[in-house]
Amino acid sequence: MKMALETHALLLSFIVPVISIGSAFAVAIAIAPGALGVQQTEPPPIRPTPAGRALFVQSCAHCHGDDAKGSGDGSDLYGLRISNARIATVIRQGIHGEMPSFAKKYSATDIAALTTYLRTLR
Amino acid sequence: MIEPSIWAKLHGASTHFPIALMLVSALCDGVSFFSKDAGRRRNSRSVGTVTMVLGALGSYAAVLTGLVMTKGLIWGHAALLHHHQFVWPAFALMTGLATWRMAARAEPSRKSATIYLVLMILSAALVSGAGYWGGELLSEG
Repeated sequence: MKMALETHALLLSFIVPVISIGSAFAVAIAIAPGALGVQQTEPPPIRPTPAGRALFVQSCAHCHGDDAKGSGDGSDLYGLRISNARIATVIRQGIHGEMPSFAKKYSATDIAALTTYLRTLR
Repeated sequence: MIEPSIWAKLHGASTHFPIALMLVSALCDGVSFFSKDAGRRRNSRSVGTVTMVLGALGSYAAVLTGLVMTKGLIWGHAALLHHHQFVWPAFALMTGLATWRMAARAEPSRKSATIYLVLMILSAALVSGAGYWGGELLSEG
């Protein structure tokens, strides 16, 4: 009897996580059809600026979205109406309570490359 | 209209409960496993069960708010990818262990308790890793 109960518990312990993970992934797919890497719509054309793009993907994409159109708590970065100097300052200093500072992480050259990349987003 | 950042705030708020509860549960299980006093063993096990189940329930809220916040991103890049590499196994283990805990009411055998404790420690490590990379997302971008 005890053995049967333990087997039953063990079986449930495998089924529940599978259902939980499956449900989470189903929610993800329902929210964003591209969640599993299946891109349903063509991303907007971006002119190549490899260094800036690579830095963007590394540090910015998880908040601003892979396509830089905003994702959750990161804003849309298309068509920024601020100067290059201001963009660089925001990257360097961050925004209190909203965006971290990248001054320790990136050199002036990196920040310039990122700024150039952001300028290509129109 | 819901403010978009509400999900980031809710995720930040909800995610600390499973982390804290899992760590407390692992500690209680450790005490229960190694204690020679039957009363202490039973009490620690009870606290471990309650914190485990609450932690697992809390993990659903954390996962849901995280998915909504990232618009359904399951993996992502850089720190977010590392965060998710810890989150999914931790989520599976937490829900599995909580289910086992609820379903197997009887006192476990020494062998079952040992396996459970090892998985519990692994789960606590994974959830801590998820928390670490979640923190990195905030501090390092």
